[in-house]
Amino acid sequence: MRRFLRLLPVLALSGLILGLVACAQMSAIPVVAAYHPESLAAGQQASCSECHEDQQKGTMKPFSAFNHSASFINNHRFYAASDDRLCATCHKGSFCSDCHTNQVEMKPSTRYGYRPDREMPHRGNFMTLHKIEGKLDPAGCYRCHGRSNNERCVACHH
Amino acid sequence: MKKILCSLFTVALMLPVPCVVQAETSVDSATIFRFEKRDIGTSKETIMPATQFLGLDVDKLADGNLSLHLYGWGRADLADKSYNNDKTDGSLGYGYLRYRFKQANADVRAGRFFVHEGVVNEQVDGVGAHTDLPLGFGISAFGGATVHTKHLYDESSDGKGDSIFGGRANYRYKGMLELGLSAVYEGNAPTLRNHTNGNHRLMGMDLWLTPVKMVEVMGHSSYNPETRTAAEHTYLINVKPVKQLILSAEFNEHRQKSYLYAWSMFSGAALNPDEKSRSAGGRISYEINQAIEVTADYKHYTRNAGNADRYGADAKLTFLNNTVRSGFGYHYLRAGSAFAIGSNPSASYHELRAYALHDSKTYFAAIDVLDYIFKDKIYNEKSAWEGTLSLGYHITPALALSGDITYGRNPQFSEDLRGLLRLTYNMLYDGKGGKK
Repeated sequence: MRRFLRLLPVLALSGLILGLVACAQMSAIPVVAAYHPESLAAGQQASCSECHEDQQKGTMKPFSAFNHSASFINNHRFYAASDDRLCATCHKGSFCSDCHTNQVEMKPSTRYGYRPDREMPHRGNFMTLHKIEGKLDPAGCYRCHGRSNNERCVACHH
Repeated sequence: MKKILCSLFTVALMLPVPCVVQAETSVDSATIFRFEKRDIGTSKETIMPATQFLGLDVDKLADGNLSLHLYGWGRADLADKSYNNDKTDGSLGYGYLRYRFKQANADVRAGRFFVHEGVVNEQVDGVGAHTDLPLGFGISAFGGATVHTKHLYDESSDGKGDSIFGGRANYRYKGMLELGLSAVYEGNAPTLRNHTNGNHRLMGMDLWLTPVKMVEVMGHSSYNPETRTAAEHTYLINVKPVKQLILSAEFNEHRQKSYLYAWSMFSGAALNPDEKSRSAGGRISYEINQAIEVTADYKHYTRNAGNADRYGADAKLTFLNNTVRSGFGYHYLRAGSAFAIGSNPSASYHELRAYALHDSKTYFAAIDVLDYIFKDKIYNEKSAWEGTLSLGYHITPALALSGDITYGRNPQFSEDLRGLLRLTYNMLYDGKGGKK
C-alpha cells in the first residue's frame, strides 16, 4: 500500500502528461465541416469529384467514392453502414427517414408521388409481388421489417 | 422515456432567446389527405386519412455547437378507420439534442435517434457519443432503452428486449482503408405466445478498402453469439476504369438461423433455419454525358428450394438544366415454382417502368407507369399495372400544393383508384444542403 502511495504522484503525473499529449493530438485531428458548404437543388445529383478530385489530407476517404451515380444509389447501404455521419454531411436525417424508419404510415413512393425519379421501395402493386420476392430473398425483407415495421407483416404471417 | 423526451424538448424550447434568434432553423412539413373507397363484398368503406409529417432541425443553439433534430408523423382518420383499431396514430422517428465539439469530430446525442454503424442498425431512446482518436482511430458508443413498436398480432409485446447498447471502433489509414468492429446487445427478449423470437445480439466487422484509385471494396460480416455461427457476409466491389464507367460486383450470404434469429416472423415465414441463402450479381453503369446514364444489371439467387435470376437495364435522362427528368427500364425475373404464388409452375415476370417529371418555378408535374407481366397468371390476372399522374403548384419557393391520381389493375383488385392531396413546406437555410 505504501509503495502504491509513493507511486501515486508519479502515476498521476504520467496520467496528466498522457492526457495532455492525447488532448494535443486530438486538437490536431482534421475537423470535418458539419454540413456540406453548398445546398443542392431538388433532384440535383451531387458530383463530389468535380470539386474534390484529389484525396483530402489526413485519414479522409476520397470524395470520388461518394459520387452519386446510379450504382452508388443502388448500393448506398454499403456506404451508409460504415458511418451514418457521412450521409448527414449533406442530407437531413429526415431524408433517410423517408424510407428508413421504425414505423411507416404510407409507402414512401405514395408520399412522394411527385418524385418518381427518387429510388423508393415497393412501387406499384407490391402486395402481389411480395409473395414472390419474400421467398426469393427473405433477408431483404428482414433488413427493414425484421425489427421494425413488422406488425403489418405479422397481421397475415402468423 | 416519453417524459424524458418531453423534458428535453421543453429545455430546448426554453433556451435563452438571444441564442434561439441566432439559430438556423429548417422545417420539413407535408400534410397529406388520401381518398379511397373500398368494396370488399361484405362491406363498403370510405377511407380519408389526414397525415402530417414534420421534420425540424434547429442548429447553432446556445454556444453555436448545440442542435435540435425532430422528425415524426401523426394521422387522423376523417372517415372510416384506415388501419388497425385506432382512428388516430403517430410516431416519433427521432427527437434528440446534439452537441458537436470543436475538436476530433466528436459529438454527443441525447434523446431518440437512429444508429447506423457497421452491423448496428437501431433506434434508441438514450445517449450516444462519438469521437475520432489520434492515429486514425475512432470510437462510438450508445445505450438506452429500446424503441418499442406496436404489439405483434395476438401478443402482449413487440418481441424486443427493453434495453440496448452497443458501439463501433474503427481504424482509418489515409484514404485507403477503413476497418470497423461493431456490436449490439439488447436485453432479453420477452417470451411470445404464438411466435418464436430470440435475443437480439450481433457483432461484426466492416471494411472499406481502395488499394488503387479505381478499385473500391466494401462490406461487412456479422456473427450471432446466441447461435454461435456467422449471420451475414455482404460485400461489394466497384471498379472505375474511367470516371463515367462503374463496374460493380456484389456477394451476399445469410445463414437464416443466425441472421433472422430475432425476427418474430421467423416462425410464420416458412423458413428453413438450417438454410444458407446466397445471392451474387453485377452491374455496369455508364454516364454517356451529364444528361444520360445507362445501367445494366444481373443477379443470381441461390436457395435450397431453387435458383433464380434477375436481369435488366435502366436509363436515366435529364433535359433543360435538370428541370425535366425521366427514365425507363426493363427487368426480367426467372424463377421456378418454389418461388411461385399458389400452385403456379413459375414465378417469372417482366417488369417495365417509365416516368417523367418537370419542375419549374411555378408548377411541377410527373407521370409514372409501372407494369408487371406474369409468365403464369396470378389469381387469373396476367399483369399488375399502375399509373400515377401528379400535378403541383409552387405557391412560394418553399410552399407547394400538389395532388396525385393513381389507377391500376392487379391480381388483388379488379380496379384500384386512389387520390391524394398534398401540402408541403420545405424551408432551408443556405448553409445546409440536401433539399431532396
